[in-house]
Amino acid sequence: MWKEYSSGYIKNNRSASLSVVLATGISALLLSLLCGIFYNLWKYEVESIQLEEGGWQSRIAGQFDPEELEKMGNFSGIEKAVVYEKEGREAGVELYFSDYGRVLEDTPRIAALAGVSSEKITYNHSLLALYFIRDPADPAPRLLFPLFLLIITLASLSLIVIIHSAFAVSMNDRIHQFGIFSSIGATPRQIRTCLLQEAAALCAIPVLAGNLLGIGISAGILHMANILLRSVVSGRHESVFGYHPLVLGVTLFATVLTIWISAWLPARKLSRLSPLEAIKNTGELQLKRKRSSRILGFLFGVEGELAGNALKAQRRALRTGSLSLICSFMAFTIMQCFFATSNISTRESYFQRYQQVWDVMVTVKDTKAEAFGETGEIQGLPGVESAIVYQRAGVKAMILEEELSEEMKAFGGFAHASESQVTKTDGGWLVNAPLVILDDTSFLTYCGQVGGTPVLNGAVVLNQIRDVTNPDFRHPQYMPYVKGEKGVSLLTQPGQGGKIVEIPVLSYTRQEPALREEYATLDYYELVHVIPVSLWKEIRGQLGEANPDLNICILGEDSADREELDRLQKEVGELLGSTYILESENRIQEYEVNEKQILGLQVVFGGFCVLLAIIGIGNVFSNTLSFVRQRKREFARYLSVGVTPEGIRKMFCIEALVVAGRPILITLPLAVLAVWFMLRMSYLGVEEFLAEAPLGPIVIFLLAIVGSVALAYNLGWRNLRRVSLAEVLRDDTML
Amino acid sequence: MEILKCQGVRKVYGDQNNPVVALDGVDLSVNKGEFVAIVGASGSGKSTLLHILGSVDKPTSGSVIVEGTDLSSLNPRQAAIFRRRKVGLVYQFYNLIPTLTVRKNILMPLSLDRKKPNQEYLEQVVSSLGLSEKLEAMPNQLSGGQQQRVAIARSLIYRPTLLLADEPTGNLDQKNSREIMDMLKLSNRNLDQTILLITHDEKVALEAERIITIEDGRILSDEKRR
Repeated sequence: MWKEYSSGYIKNNRSASLSVVLATGISALLLSLLCGIFYNLWKYEVESIQLEEGGWQSRIAGQFDPEELEKMGNFSGIEKAVVYEKEGREAGVELYFSDYGRVLEDTPRIAALAGVSSEKITYNHSLLALYFIRDPADPAPRLLFPLFLLIITLASLSLIVIIHSAFAVSMNDRIHQFGIFSSIGATPRQIRTCLLQEAAALCAIPVLAGNLLGIGISAGILHMANILLRSVVSGRHESVFGYHPLVLGVTLFATVLTIWISAWLPARKLSRLSPLEAIKNTGELQLKRKRSSRILGFLFGVEGELAGNALKAQRRALRTGSLSLICSFMAFTIMQCFFATSNISTRESYFQRYQQVWDVMVTVKDTKAEAFGETGEIQGLPGVESAIVYQRAGVKAMILEEELSEEMKAFGGFAHASESQVTKTDGGWLVNAPLVILDDTSFLTYCGQVGGTPVLNGAVVLNQIRDVTNPDFRHPQYMPYVKGEKGVSLLTQPGQGGKIVEIPVLSYTRQEPALREEYATLDYYELVHVIPVSLWKEIRGQLGEANPDLNICILGEDSADREELDRLQKEVGELLGSTYILESENRIQEYEVNEKQILGLQVVFGGFCVLLAIIGIGNVFSNTLSFVRQRKREFARYLSVGVTPEGIRKMFCIEALVVAGRPILITLPLAVLAVWFMLRMSYLGVEEFLAEAPLGPIVIFLLAIVGSVALAYNLGWRNLRRVSLAEVLRDDTML
Repeated sequence: MEILKCQGVRKVYGDQNNPVVALDGVDLSVNKGEFVAIVGASGSGKSTLLHILGSVDKPTSGSVIVEGTDLSSLNPRQAAIFRRRKVGLVYQFYNLIPTLTVRKNILMPLSLDRKKPNQEYLEQVVSSLGLSEKLEAMPNQLSGGQQQRVAIARSLIYRPTLLLADEPTGNLDQKNSREIMDMLKLSNRNLDQTILLITHDEKVALEAERIITIEDGRILSDEKRR
């Protein structure tokens, strides 16, 4: 009997059934699409990190015998322990965990088991961050992934609410009918079964189809992204579409659970009503308890109060619309602010900072500076203003107590340094001393720039240290590191028992060589030494090996454009390509690629925001277009006590204003808070942000929302004003 | 003093091919302070007449003049203001605004004119209707009889020229019906309120001082009882 009733209802109420089917299908599709794309973005990030840095979660530096390695490998939760090498020598062991949650806790234990201090541990922070594992010692903010996850979660919640609302509105309309059934003896269980059966009949196909279509579309989008990015970024690791069964499971579970709850709630409500109460249920807007709309009443008079209370009574019907509009506007605003902040930050800390430093960067793989013989040819290429061939090496420098500058002493010396940064020795401290080995010509030029003697038998020491207590990396405060009176520097190879090498210091300076390099970012106590390659040839036997790759930093002429830089890059490639393995990039190209990538991300996430806004606006439209059915009695009452048609129209305007204005009122303080947080994390000034605040796109997005809501209410008003007051008051079926 | 005058009021529904005549040449005159009951069978046209008198509907032809205002000449805005100030409407199903408290429902006609209530009069109306304790309640928290009393209070708050009641006891039990009728009579006597009451219940009609019987859209009889 129920089967017949349900199928009869579905057939005879096609529009109501269709709206449920469409809302469920579209929401399931979007939910699946969002989850699919997000999962693939995450998967791509993980793959990229694994390719670039390796899939290990933590590393322990040092040399280990097979027994120690076996112990490590057998440690609970360790999948494998693999020896890694640097410059052909064993450098340590890479640990792969089966449970990532134990990485931070277990690695120090494993290191202790192997008799190694915790300073030898390195974590793969970027990989761990993708599993929400944060090392408190990791200085990078890594906000992008949580932000994307937040946007996706908001969007998914909104979609779940849409399914719920579509169902809840339809089901509430049925309470009157089921009251009649109840009055003739249907049990609450029978009614519940009927509602759930109907829900299953209506939603099974849309949920499955929506999910499958969502997976298909996400695969298509990924494929298109691969094609588009192939032309922009050469050599990029291409993403391969994947869909974890868990993602499908979560999506399906969320959808089915939402539908089940949405169908079950009215059934429960019904079981608590007497048959008479259920029959009397007209679905009319009611307020269960006293509510007042003081602000609207104060601003707009009695119409404001009526509109405010009507909105409160419509809360359920408008929930999807409100939530979607709030989520879309909030996500769009925060996304725009995030990209604006990120743009300013990248430009200031990277593109602007290095604009006068490099135009073309070439990395020559596995090449030693002393063996590279093409420096002169590169420096002589047409269009090259300067070309610095350099390599970095990591050594230690011995600093004696009397060498420390007064400022450094006043600051507390090495009191804030960790053991991995500074080691106390008998006469002083051992600190990390990165060597920047320049080609001889460039070194002599640099000596000239810093006022040192232009000879090739000594080093220029970058004599500065940051106020380590101030984490503001954008506006660091520097002070002299050492007094700079000694005239020699004592260097030694990292590790215990290395021989001390004494080299002359030609100059102590605070002027960095013009390279695209950063110094003392993770270890504030580094004492950078710039030396010529000729000196390196003499001392390298005692100080170990330099980094495997050689770098060439080329600065073109002032007016060089993209075409000129492309040509320069090509010429360098032709000159060196046959002998060496090269990787090269040019500044303008990198800037353009960066811009395109940001634009691409903005388009993708902006698209989601627009989608959410469309969902919200769609809900507002469906609500206002059903005004005639839902609210004509309400408006007839107003008219009967003397509210003028203009008064009703004013109510409509107030309702539209609230529906469209609510996202702004909620978003603004949150956006201010989010921007404040972003600025704080990136150490940018408010005025810097305000100068480039993305007001244009935000205002356009807002106007689109306001315009659409106004149109929806205008259509609702047009429909309603045609209704005859006398007819409504005569129609007792409405009561 | 005559405050209501209907002349040749005719109301036709439907189109030209299928006209339904609800009122057919109704002539009626009511003086200030009268308590008039309009009785008739279902479909006789009594509710249509009440809607026209309350400016909720317009006659197809004829004139309705309330205190010198020709209702057929009013535009929708003027009609709304007329309803607000000159007419108090009481319906069988109360028609209270479910989103406002009892107090705000009662004061609604005054609020629309941004007028402050005369506290003394408000208290008089509220206490005489037994609503003093219910002013902050929501309509759905009241019984049917209480809701109808709120509707009467709302209709009286502006001291209207006419109080039009459409089957005000139709949805109530005997006790509540009795109370509502007593209250209407009280307002008629104490406030000199002119009342037009529509009912199909003869017992209720007998409470009025004048009974007009309508049948097929025409006045069949107009009887003064005292």
